[in-house]
Amino acid sequence: MSWVGLLFWLLAAVTVGSALLVVTTRNLVHAALWLVVTLGAVAGVYLLLAAEFVAWVQVLIYVGAVVVLVLFALMLTRAPTGPQPDLTAARILPAAVVAGLVAVLLGATVVAGFHDVRIDLDAAVVGSAEVTGETLFRRWVLPFEVLSVLLLAALVGAIVLSRLREDDLDGLERRRDGEA
Amino acid sequence: MPLWWPLLLASLLFAIGVYGVLVRRNAVLVLMGVELMLNAVNINLVAFDAHLRDVLHGGQTLALFTIVIAAAEIGLALAVVLLVFRTHGHIDLDRLRSLADRDGLDELDQRGPRLDHRGAR
Amino acid sequence: MSWVVLAMLLVPFCSAALTLWIGHRSEVTSRGVAVGGSALGLVLVVVVAAGHLGDAVPLTHVFVSTSAAVEPIGLAVHVDPLSAVLLLLSATVAFLVQVYSLGYLADDPRYPSYAALVAVFTGAMSTVVVADDLWLLLVGWELMGACSYFLISHHWELAEARAGAVKAFLITRTADLGLLFAILLLGARFGSYRISEILASIQQQALPRDDLWLPALLLTVAVTGKSAQLPFHTWLPDAMPGPTPISALIHAATMVAAGVFLVARTYPVFVSAPTVLTLLASIAAATMVLGALYALFTDDLKRVLAWSTVSQLAYMFGALAVGAWSAGVLHLLAHGAFKALLFLSAGSVVHAVGSTSMGRMGGLRGRLPHTFLAMTLGFGALAGIVPLIGFFTKDAVIAGALEQARHGRLVWPWVSWALVVAMILTALVTVAYSLRAWLLVFFGKGTGPGTADSVHESPWSMRVPLYLLMVPTALGGFLVFKPAAVLGPQHHESLVHGAESVVMTGLVVVTAVVVLLLWRRRGRQMWPHVVLPHPPVDVVWDRGLVRPVGWLSRVVRAGERDVVEAYADGAGASARGLGRLLRLTQTGNVQTYLMVVVVGAAALAVAAGTVS
Repeated sequence: MSWVGLLFWLLAAVTVGSALLVVTTRNLVHAALWLVVTLGAVAGVYLLLAAEFVAWVQVLIYVGAVVVLVLFALMLTRAPTGPQPDLTAARILPAAVVAGLVAVLLGATVVAGFHDVRIDLDAAVVGSAEVTGETLFRRWVLPFEVLSVLLLAALVGAIVLSRLREDDLDGLERRRDGEA
Repeated sequence: MPLWWPLLLASLLFAIGVYGVLVRRNAVLVLMGVELMLNAVNINLVAFDAHLRDVLHGGQTLALFTIVIAAAEIGLALAVVLLVFRTHGHIDLDRLRSLADRDGLDELDQRGPRLDHRGAR
Repeated sequence: MSWVVLAMLLVPFCSAALTLWIGHRSEVTSRGVAVGGSALGLVLVVVVAAGHLGDAVPLTHVFVSTSAAVEPIGLAVHVDPLSAVLLLLSATVAFLVQVYSLGYLADDPRYPSYAALVAVFTGAMSTVVVADDLWLLLVGWELMGACSYFLISHHWELAEARAGAVKAFLITRTADLGLLFAILLLGARFGSYRISEILASIQQQALPRDDLWLPALLLTVAVTGKSAQLPFHTWLPDAMPGPTPISALIHAATMVAAGVFLVARTYPVFVSAPTVLTLLASIAAATMVLGALYALFTDDLKRVLAWSTVSQLAYMFGALAVGAWSAGVLHLLAHGAFKALLFLSAGSVVHAVGSTSMGRMGGLRGRLPHTFLAMTLGFGALAGIVPLIGFFTKDAVIAGALEQARHGRLVWPWVSWALVVAMILTALVTVAYSLRAWLLVFFGKGTGPGTADSVHESPWSMRVPLYLLMVPTALGGFLVFKPAAVLGPQHHESLVHGAESVVMTGLVVVTAVVVLLLWRRRGRQMWPHVVLPHPPVDVVWDRGLVRPVGWLSRVVRAGERDVVEAYADGAGASARGLGRLLRLTQTGNVQTYLMVVVVGAAALAVAAGTVS
């Protein structure tokens, strides 16, 4: 096995391991942090697969913005620190079975379909900023613009949803007073 | 490398994401599971792009798009989570059951007695 | 001429509808419409009847016909002398009753429906009398029964009126099953539902004796029900809570006479089954004596007249049973006239005194002179006093029975002798009860208002019909001398028998003297007061028919409720149960829903994979 393969298996192990920890750990903030590790490892996998720009965007947006947002949400929802006993519902077994089923299904399909196909990484075009930019703004410009509209919609939606209304304020104050 | 290595990784990550979505009680943790699923999809796209090497660079571009959409989505989702927290005081999905179809209809059952031929009880 | 017949049939129904419609707006106008319609109907009847009396050619006409069934059914009429005389009787009495009701029901708010029902009844009676199609006859027959029910319960706030109406309706309806099955049998046997065709077939074919016993028996059941003979005789006295004009019209002159009419109309069917005639004669003999005895002991004026009607109808059936067709029919006409007169005068008395109990009457002849005259003539005719019409027709009947007993072959000999004895006995008892009623109402001193000032004669609208009815009662007897003039050339028998009449008159005088002596000696309580028992026949009907039907209806209702409705409820309950089961999937928990979605998607993927 070449060093690419070795590296890949290492990164894969990290990804899967930290993903498992994300979904099983008893500590809320730890889950968020393990998510960071997972997303970073995935960025590494992108680099291995010659998707340079995507990898850095992954780090920038996912690790940088999304995880921070998640942490903010945890804070705003008064997430308790320290291990919690009740973060996982009682349906572990059925969920595990379903997840296992999905894994088996997808994995078997994939392996059966592509078991003798090799990626020729030497001939791969590295997805640099120049190449990606050119593709994006020449071939994919329309979806790009639509995407920006989508972002605007999401932004507006988020603001509308989280606006404080009169009764919410009362509720908040009552709760705050109750806890005080 | 063989194509099926990254693909298998994607499948496993996806399955783990499904598990996380189904089993976690905190809404934010469920959203983390969703993120895992989206990342699995991205790995798939990028792997195929590396294999097919098409002119449009569709795999990588779509991976970018997916990241953007994931960001938008988690922004909105977290706004919803905050709203739920404001109204209910918690974001435990197991306790959010107001959409359940239970007690209202049992009352309706009792409102319909057996009537005899004259329409009397 | 046939369109006149059609008009005669339709005018009463139109008059009824118009009376009802106008009655809502203006009661005075509706009274005018009712009487006017009745008068118009009478005019049309006179036109039709005048053309078909005596030796005129009978009219047979089919207006519409359908052969949807194998044998055609249709609006077919046949007007012969029998129909003509009965049309005259029913239309005249109906018109007089309508006029009478103007006064009798002067303050009644339900007048429009009453007058409309009387008009419908008149139309129905005309239909029965001229019908040539058996189904048309059945329609008219049942319609009369329905009108009788509605009219008896005119004062439906009285419990006995409701009970009487239901009893009358149920008993006559049960008996009418006989008519229904007789029609089916005759239609199947002769291939036609036309009376004229059936009778012609019977007369042409030489049928073996008693071949048609079953249709004749079923017809007997029907007519005994309609005409209140044993064992269906109990409904007529209980129908007396109805208004008195109705008692006059329906329960004396016309509807109960329809039974006699039917036997007279389908006479060849009966003649070909002499055994049934014997049965009819026995029923008649028993009923006439029973009715007369009941009338002797009852204290209610209208009930006396009701039992008297039962008894006199038995006379008519007796006459028909022994082959004295003309005597029977003429007695029917006579009875119609004098019984209507009696009932209407009784109505006048009741109107004055305010009660039907003879105990509250007495000494009324000074206060009610016109009514006194009318009722005297009526009772005289009933008792068979010379020269009133009742004398002639009753003697004709008795003579006819005697003739059959001596020489006839229709009825078994001892039955016909028994019938003769019953007739003579009943005649004497009739004299007794008529005289008693006459004395109790108009003479002596009762506990009632008597000569009080509040007692006054009835208004002219109630008196005029009395005057008009007195005419045939007094003078109609001379019809008996030449029946062929009215009933047609084939009925030319002599109905006047001198010797028998003298003997009967002698017996009548003796009875009258006895009663008068008792009146002199004992006053108002001429013979010991007997508490009349409830007719045992009613108990038999109750136990045998009413209770089983009630039980059956409870079973059916329970079956419907516990079986059919249980299925319907079960369908609903199972739907609800299924809903409850399905509702278990709606847990409200998002993750449960997601799990189902994932598993479903996986299953679909597998399925898609295996299929393609």
